[in-house]
Amino acid sequence: HTHTMASAEPAPAAAAAPAEGESGCVLLCIGMAGSGKTSLVQRLNSAMQMSGKRGYIVNLDPAVHALPYTPNIDIRDTVDYKAVMHEYGLGPNGGIVTSLNLFATRFDQALSILETRAKESDYLVIDTPGQIEVFTWSASGAIITESISSTIPSVVVYCVDTPRCASPITFMSNMLYACSILYKTKLPFILAFNKVDVLDHQFAIEWLRDADAFQDALDAETSYVSSLARSMSQVLEEFYQNLRAVGVSAVTGAGVSDLFEAVEDAKAEYFRDYKPVIDAQRLAKQTKEAEEQGESFKKLRQDLQDSGHVVVDVRPGARSEEDVAADSDASSSDEEDPSKELRPSDLHEAFQNAQGLPRPSV
Amino acid sequence: LSLSLSRRRMRYTQLVMGPAGSGKSTYCQSVVEHCNAVGRPVHVFNLDPAAEVFNYPVAWDIRDMVSVDDVAQYLNFGPNGGLVYCMEYLIANIEVLDEALGEFADDYLLFDCPGQIELYMHIPVMGQLVAHLQGLDYRVAAVYLIDAQFIDEPSKFFSACLSAISVMMMLEIPHVNVLTKIDLIKTIKRKSEIQRFLDPDPTLLLEEANRASSARQHKLNQGIASLLEDYSLLKFVPLDQSNEDSIGNVLAMVDHCIQFGEDEDVKIPKVPFRMLLPFFFCFSRSFNFL
Repeated sequence: HTHTMASAEPAPAAAAAPAEGESGCVLLCIGMAGSGKTSLVQRLNSAMQMSGKRGYIVNLDPAVHALPYTPNIDIRDTVDYKAVMHEYGLGPNGGIVTSLNLFATRFDQALSILETRAKESDYLVIDTPGQIEVFTWSASGAIITESISSTIPSVVVYCVDTPRCASPITFMSNMLYACSILYKTKLPFILAFNKVDVLDHQFAIEWLRDADAFQDALDAETSYVSSLARSMSQVLEEFYQNLRAVGVSAVTGAGVSDLFEAVEDAKAEYFRDYKPVIDAQRLAKQTKEAEEQGESFKKLRQDLQDSGHVVVDVRPGARSEEDVAADSDASSSDEEDPSKELRPSDLHEAFQNAQGLPRPSV
Repeated sequence: LSLSLSRRRMRYTQLVMGPAGSGKSTYCQSVVEHCNAVGRPVHVFNLDPAAEVFNYPVAWDIRDMVSVDDVAQYLNFGPNGGLVYCMEYLIANIEVLDEALGEFADDYLLFDCPGQIELYMHIPVMGQLVAHLQGLDYRVAAVYLIDAQFIDEPSKFFSACLSAISVMMMLEIPHVNVLTKIDLIKTIKRKSEIQRFLDPDPTLLLEEANRASSARQHKLNQGIASLLEDYSLLKFVPLDQSNEDSIGNVLAMVDHCIQFGEDEDVKIPKVPFRMLLPFFFCFSRSFNFL
């Protein structure tokens, strides 16, 4: 009784995609190096333990020396960053990227664990590599983000170094980068202004809420503000509209409850606004794949007929065109089968297409 | 003579930036090979203290001064702390760079920069470096690279534009965005997909982005689309490193934005003095006859 066979039958109720109340929420902690992601994860961990919430923690930073918390899944258990550097003759950056790539090729295993854990946890916190674009602008980061977010409700927690954002130009650049991540991940977004024990984040909230106040600050700092900067700040106003911003301190623990409230709100947004889009896209992709498969089998059948052989339906657990059409009508019947979307071979292929690297030996 | 003294000669350089793996070193290699072929002097300075191997001659290397490996070994810094330390070390000892710059006084330079966005946003080193170069009469262009393979739908394209703008904002120098690794895109379908981002029609992109996002995000999509319409500097130039014309085209774009070659003196072939001597003799003889 294989998976392909199972998918052709009506799906059992137990495998249904998690509804809003049934699954924990993934917190994807992204932030620039030094913004305090790891400390924030540690603070979230201890806050969860204090309040009796069930947490599950994943570390994806292969180069971190020591973690202040004990992760449930640690990339360092799978990939040895120093050994990768040595084996492939890479520097520190290449080492981190390659380690993450190697991990991404095996991510289907981690994902199946996460899926099970999601049902019995309140929050799954994921700590990402220190240098931000290793995660946001890499094939492996995209694979990991997309595969998690298509099966488990996820939100992005973008960690900002508040004291470093006191300059309006830096603030704006940082917000632009945040907006860029919103477009890249396509997930509900929470801005976490970290280190509020050093500098209060009220100035940032004011700039987010009041465009004129930000414009004044911008004018005060630079004598010449380009028209691009002005237009950008207008565009960012729209970005701020859909944004939850909280101030937290990983050191003192201030604002952590606000962050969890924001996560709940963002989770609701995931189900309301993002999940329909993700589902629709997946369905479109599956329909297209099935069509392409159908086409090629039609051709094969034609070839066989032409050559005078007996026609047999060679597809294992074959899905006819009617099945596909029925799927697109009853939209929920196909979502439950994550193995369809996340076969290891797919990951390998995506990874190798993107990287052109040899198949890993680790 | 007085003319050339009164006007200081401008010098030209590119800062090659972009996320790790976007093809910075490959870009430098392509430009160097292209320039060697057309007989134009170009040198590459490596500014990435965590760089690995180069496929081109490096004129100056920050790793000769300080490298992340050394810093990690002796000061026990992690990869990021080490990088920040190295860049701050460079700014503190900028005279070493000046000395190296002096050796290539008149040549066009490329700086192969580290990719980490933190270096641009969180610490002022890149801004300080640009100001220092400008103080030495360099015209500095920023070349921001993004891997074309990541751009497969409008939202990814918007994402790339926004990350390019965030760097643009911090440095405030002439800026060219390049979509690298076009040659790795094989299928015709993907090629035509990339094509629409190279010469974007904001209205079409907006429609598609709206289809793929929830209603709450439509206004933001609209804002970014209108930015694309209003600011042509948000364009991406394609780079196919296997195609000589493509490399030439990117280089021409960068040259144009720092006005390379526009204020070069018009070269009048010099006539050596001794070639004029017969004329003098001629005249002096005629004087004698008179």
